[in-house]
Amino acid sequence: MARKSWWGGGGGGQYFPPSRPRKAEGGIKSQSKRGGFGESWWAKRWLKVLESFDIGARLARGRSYAKNGQVLSIAIEKGTVKAKVQGSRPKPYDITIEVKTLSESDWAKVLDVLGRQAIFAAKLLAGEMPQDIEPLFQEAGLSLFPTKLGDLMTKCSCPDWSNPCKHIAAAYYLLGEEFDRDPFLIFSLRGLGRDALMARLGAASPKRERAGGSPAKSSRPREPLNAEVKSFWGGDEAGENIEEPRGVVEIPKASAALPRRLGGFPFWRGDSPFVDTLSVVYTAASPRGLDMVLEQGGRVDQLGEE
Amino acid sequence: MSHRVWEVYRAMIILHASASGGRLVLWGETAPGPAGKTARKGTRRVKPAAAGVPRSRFALEGDRLAETVAGEISGFALSKEQRQSWVAWLPTNVDGALPSSPLLIEGAEDRGAVELAPWEMPALVLTTEQAVAVLVAGIDRTTWGPGVIVGRTLAFWANVLRFAGALVARQQYLPGVVAGGDGAMFRAIWEPVLTGAERLEAERQARSMPHACRALDRGSATDSTQTAASTVFAEVLGALVDHLVRTALKPLGKGKGRFTSVHDQWVHALRAADGRMTGDQAELARLAEQVGQWRRPLDAAASAPFRLCLRLEEPTDDVEGRWRIVYLLQAIDDLSLLVPAEAAWKGKGPEAAVLERDGFRPREYLLSALGQAATLCPRIEASLKSVAPAGYDLDAAGAYEFLSEKAGALEQGGFGVFLPAWWSRKGTKLRLAARAVVSSPKMTSKAGLSLEEILKFRWEVALGDQTLTLTELKALAKLKTSLVKVRGQWVELNPEEIQAALAFWKAKGETSITAREAVRMALGAAKPPGSLDFAGVQASGWLADFLGQFEGASGFEALEPPTGFRGVLRPYQSRGFSWLGFLRRWGMGACLADDMGLGKTIQTLALIQREWESRPVRQRRPTLLICPMSVVGNWHKEAGKFTPELPVMVHHGLERARGAEFKKRAGKHALVLSSYALLHRDFELFKQVNWDALILDEAQNIKNPQTKQAQAARALKAGHRIALTGTPVENHVGDLWSIIEYLNPGWLGTQAEFKRTFHVPIQAGRDPEAARQLQRLTAPFVLRRLKTDKTIIADLPEKLEAKMFCTLTKEQASLYAAVVEETAARMEDAEGIQRKGLVLATLVKLKQVCNHPAQFLGDNSAVAGRSGKLARLTEMLDEALSANDRALVFTQFSEMGTLLKNHLQETFGREVMFLHGGTPKAQRDRMVERFQSKSSDAPPLFILSLKAGGTGLNLTAANHVFHFDRWWNPAVENQATDRAFRIGQTRRVQVHKFVCVGTLEEKIDAMIEHKKEIAGSVVGSGEAWLTKLSNAELKDLFALREEALAG
Repeated sequence: MARKSWWGGGGGGQYFPPSRPRKAEGGIKSQSKRGGFGESWWAKRWLKVLESFDIGARLARGRSYAKNGQVLSIAIEKGTVKAKVQGSRPKPYDITIEVKTLSESDWAKVLDVLGRQAIFAAKLLAGEMPQDIEPLFQEAGLSLFPTKLGDLMTKCSCPDWSNPCKHIAAAYYLLGEEFDRDPFLIFSLRGLGRDALMARLGAASPKRERAGGSPAKSSRPREPLNAEVKSFWGGDEAGENIEEPRGVVEIPKASAALPRRLGGFPFWRGDSPFVDTLSVVYTAASPRGLDMVLEQGGRVDQLGEE
Repeated sequence: MSHRVWEVYRAMIILHASASGGRLVLWGETAPGPAGKTARKGTRRVKPAAAGVPRSRFALEGDRLAETVAGEISGFALSKEQRQSWVAWLPTNVDGALPSSPLLIEGAEDRGAVELAPWEMPALVLTTEQAVAVLVAGIDRTTWGPGVIVGRTLAFWANVLRFAGALVARQQYLPGVVAGGDGAMFRAIWEPVLTGAERLEAERQARSMPHACRALDRGSATDSTQTAASTVFAEVLGALVDHLVRTALKPLGKGKGRFTSVHDQWVHALRAADGRMTGDQAELARLAEQVGQWRRPLDAAASAPFRLCLRLEEPTDDVEGRWRIVYLLQAIDDLSLLVPAEAAWKGKGPEAAVLERDGFRPREYLLSALGQAATLCPRIEASLKSVAPAGYDLDAAGAYEFLSEKAGALEQGGFGVFLPAWWSRKGTKLRLAARAVVSSPKMTSKAGLSLEEILKFRWEVALGDQTLTLTELKALAKLKTSLVKVRGQWVELNPEEIQAALAFWKAKGETSITAREAVRMALGAAKPPGSLDFAGVQASGWLADFLGQFEGASGFEALEPPTGFRGVLRPYQSRGFSWLGFLRRWGMGACLADDMGLGKTIQTLALIQREWESRPVRQRRPTLLICPMSVVGNWHKEAGKFTPELPVMVHHGLERARGAEFKKRAGKHALVLSSYALLHRDFELFKQVNWDALILDEAQNIKNPQTKQAQAARALKAGHRIALTGTPVENHVGDLWSIIEYLNPGWLGTQAEFKRTFHVPIQAGRDPEAARQLQRLTAPFVLRRLKTDKTIIADLPEKLEAKMFCTLTKEQASLYAAVVEETAARMEDAEGIQRKGLVLATLVKLKQVCNHPAQFLGDNSAVAGRSGKLARLTEMLDEALSANDRALVFTQFSEMGTLLKNHLQETFGREVMFLHGGTPKAQRDRMVERFQSKSSDAPPLFILSLKAGGTGLNLTAANHVFHFDRWWNPAVENQATDRAFRIGQTRRVQVHKFVCVGTLEEKIDAMIEHKKEIAGSVVGSGEAWLTKLSNAELKDLFALREEALAG
C-alpha cells in the first residue's frame, strides 16, 4: 500500500518488526570505502536531512540495504527520483523522492550572485560544490539543500507505516554517493539542470558530441586518395622519416589516474568496487605498453627485471 | 642464364599493411614473373571481391604472403576466412599498376600519365593480435631477412603501435561502450584519451600516413579509400590500444554463467577477447549513457582545441618584486599560439576571434580547466574570486612552491606550464650537492700503481664551485625563502635540502675507496648517501692525472711502435695504439670503433706485438682473437705482413686441435685466430688457456647479451679485453651494455640496473640527462674516429687502397679443387691454341668459384652463406651504409653483377643499380645522374661491370670502391677506381680489392705486387700472359693452398 507524505508530516515513530529482505542480484553497490555514504561535505549535507528524522533502526537498516545492493535502480529527473528497492516481498518496492524545486525568481536572485565570481562555475565544472555556496543561498533567504520540513516528499510501496522507511533511506543514501560524483545533481533536483545552470552562469555548454563514450559514427569525414606516386607510397610528408612518438614514456606511479580523476561510477552495481577493478588492469597493461616502446626490430629486449 | 636471373629476382617481396574498419589487412608486392601479362588469369583460391577487376601484375600471391608471415612470426595461423581477395586502388599508368619501389621494376613510372585504378589484390585480414605481432616484427627494420622488405605502410603502422604502447604505458585511456557494427550489439572497449602533446602527435602521424595505408577496398560504406586519414588512423590506434590493454590480463571467469548486473557484464567484457555484450538493449543503451556521463569531464577536455597553460613570470625589479602566474589558452594544433585568459572572458577582439573554433566554448572550458587546476593548486582557487580571473601574484616562497611542486602536478594533469629557463634547464641549476674528495699520492713513478689501489675518500657539501662550511650551511638554514638570488642567478635552496645537507655533514667521515670505484664516481656513476645531488669528484695526486688522461683521451704516454712491427702507423693510428696501451696499462678494456678503413687491424697488431716483445720469452702468453669467419684470412695475412715475427695459429675447421693438444699448441703462439661460432662451441677449449688478451673483431656480434657468444666472451679470462667495431654502437643504447660488460664487468651495473637507469629513460623518455651520463661513463672506453674528422683527414691520403683477404667456404674449396684436378688431367695433352684456351677457361672457372658457387654452377641456387667474398662484401657495405656512404662495386662478370644486385637488394631492402654492357645509353645516364644526386633517397650502391663502367663515367658521389674480382691488370683497375677518385671528389676514397686467400687470386696478386714496376710491360693489358707460363708454373699458380679454408 502506497503512502505519500511530505517529510515532517509525522508517522515516523511507529514500530515495525524488521523483516529479512530477499537477496537482490545486480543491485547498486555502495562505492564508499569507509562505511559512510557521501564523503563530500555537500553529500553529507544531503544525508543530514534524512538523519535528522527519528526513524530509529530504519536508518541502519537502510544503510545495510544500500550496502548490500538491495536498491535495484535509481532514475533521476528534474525534482524527482524514482527507485526500485528489493525488500522481503518478491516484487521490488517502488520509491519516489520528490524535492521541492525553486521558483524562477528565486533562481534569478541566486544566480545573479553566483555569476560574480568565476569560482562557482569553475568548481562545479571540476566536480566540486563550492564551499561558499550555502551562505550565498541563505543571504537570498533560500536553501540549496532541503532542510525545511516540507522540502521533501517521499513515498514507498512497502507496508511500513513509517515514512521515510528503510527502503527510502537506502535509496537516499545511494543518492548521497552520486552527489559526491556529480555536484550538479542537487541543482537538477532543485529544478535547474546542468546545461541551463551553466548557460545562466555565462558559460554555455558544449553540444553533446559523444554519447556513451562512443565515437560519433554518423558522418565519417571523407578524404579521397591521391594518385601522386610519392605521397601514395611514402606519405604526405615524404622524405621526412617517420619519427618515434615524442615525450617521456613513464609508467605513472599512481595507477588508473584517469578513472580516479573521474570519480566513482554513477550507481555502480558491479560485484567488486569500480576503481579497484580497473586499477588491476591499468597496472598490468603499463609494462606491456612500455615493451612496445622499447621494442627494437622484432626482439623485445630481454633485459631481465630484478 | 636470364631465366635463372628471373627466379632470383622474383624472390623479392615488399610487405604492406592497409587499414579497414580498424583492422589491418596485409598484402604484398613482388616483381612480375616473365609470364606477368598472363597472371590476370592466374589461379585464385578465393573469388575476387569485385569480379572483372584484373589482378595487379605486382600482386603477391596469397599462399606466398601467408608463408612469408608464418616464416617470420612463430605460431602464426590463419583461418580460411582471413584469406580474402580485395580491391586495391593503386597508381596506374598505361602499363598497369605501379610498384611501390624500383626494387621490383625499374623505370616503371616513366611512361604516361598516372591515375588511380582498381586492381584485385590477395590479402590477409589480421586479427588485432596478429597485427600486433606483425607490427612488432616491423619496428625499426627494413627487411625480414633476404628478399622480404618491410614496406613504408607496414613501417608506418609499426610506428603507430609504438605510439599505442606509449599511451598504454602512460595509462592514457578509459573504458567505454560502443554500439556494435550491426546495431543490435554493444561492445566494451578501451579507448585512448589524447590530451595535449599526444593529440598533436596523433594528428601529425595521421597527416604523414602513406595513402597506400587506406588503399584497400571491399566496397562497403566505411571504406578507408573514401575516409579521412585521421579517422582511419584513429580506428587503428584505438584497436591497438584496446588490444594491448584487454590482453594484459587473463579474461575473467564467467562464474555463475550470467551476470548479476550490467556493470559486471561490462567489466567482464572489458577483459574478454571480443568485448561483446548482449542482452537487454535498453539496459545496455542506458549503460552506454552512464559511461558517457561518467567520462564527460575528460571527454570534453580531450576534445578541446585549446588547453590551459600557466606561465610563471619573474619579478621585473630585483628587490622585493612580485612573481606572477598568467593564465593562457594554448592551441593544440599550434603550440606557439597563446591567448591570454582575458581575451576569453571578454569574448571580443582579435585575440578572442582566434578562439572561435567549431563547438568550442572558451569560457566554459576555461572555467572547467581552472576548476580542475584549482584542486591541484589552492592559490589558483583563491584567484577565482573575480569574474574574469587572468592570473595571480605570488612571493618568492610561493614561486618556489609553484616551481618545485605545483608545476609538476599541473603538467601531469594535462595543463601546460611555462617556467623560467634557468629553472627548466636541467643540470645547469645551482643547488646544494655532495662532492666526493679523493686524495692520492703524487704520481712519482708509475710502476706499481693500479686502479685496485685503496685511496682516502671523504664527502663535502658544495654549492656550485664553492665548498660550504658547517657555519655557512647553518646560516642558510635560517633563511626563510627557498629562492635566493645569488650573483644575478636564482638559486633553489629548499629547507629539506639544507636539512639533508646538515644531516649528511654529521654522518660523513673519512673513509676509503678503490681507485676504480673513484673513477666510476668521477664519471657520474655515484650516488651520494641521502637525498643530496652529486657534484662530482675532486681528485688530487695521481688519480687526478689519470682522470684527466682517461676522460680526455689525451695526455697519456705516446708509445713508440714496437721494434718487430713492420709498418708505419699514421699519426692518428699511433694515438690509437698508445690509447690501447694506456687502457691496458690500467687494466681497462677498450673498444676501438674507428670508421671502416682507418686501420683498426694495424693498431691492434701493433699492440699485440708490443706486449709480445716486451716480455721475457717464458712469460709470453697468447692472445685470442675472435672474428667473423669471413675475415679470419685477412687477419692472418695482415699479421704476416705487419708482425711477421708473431707466430699465428688459426683455430678452425674439422682438423682443428682439441683437448690438451689445443692448450699446448696455443701456448706456442702469439695470436690464435678463431670465429664467433667456435667461441661458443670450443669454449671449454679456450677456457683452459691463460690468455694474455681477448680481442673481438666486429664486436657488434655480441650486442645481444643473451647469446651464447656474448656469454662465452664475458666468461673467458684474459689479461686484457678489446672490442673492435666499425658500426656506431652508441646508436642503440640497448646494445651498449653487452659490449661494455664484456670489456669492463660491472661498469654499467647489472642488466636490470642498466635498463632502469639508462635504457628506459633514454629509449622511452629521451632523457638527455641520462644519455649524457651514459655517454660520459662509456666515452673513456670507446675511441671512435671518423674519416671525416679534420685531424684524421689530414693524416689520410686521398686514396686509401687496401686488400681484403677473404676465405673460401668449404663448398668453394671443394669446387675449386675439382676444377684444378680436371684441368691438370687435360693440360698434359693440350697444345698450342687448345692449351691457351684451356688455361683461360680454367682461369675464368676458378675466378667464378672464388666469387660464388652459384655463379660457377649457373644453377640459380640459394645465394647466402656460400661465398666468403660475398659475406665480407655484405658486412662492409652494411657498415658503409650505416655511415651514409656510397659505394661502387666492380665485377668483370655480368652474371655476378646480377647476382650481387639481387642479393644486396634483398639484404638491405634498398635499390641497387647495375650498369652493364647491355644497359642502353639513356638508362646509363639516368643511373649516373641518380647516383650523383644529393637527394637522401638516391640509391647508395652501384654495381658496374668493369668493361662497361670502367671508363668515362663520373661517379664522385662514391667514397668506396670495391673490386669484387680482379682483372690482372692494375691499369684497368685503376681506371675503374678513378670513376670515383677524380676531380670533384671532396672526400677520401677507400679502395677495397677482394682476394681469396690460398687461391690463384692471391698468387697473381703477389706477382703483380712483386713486379709492380714492370707490371705494365710484362703483364700487358690482358690476361693472355698467363698462358705463357709453363705447366709446372701453372700448376703452382692454380693450386689450392691449405690456408684457403683456414685462412
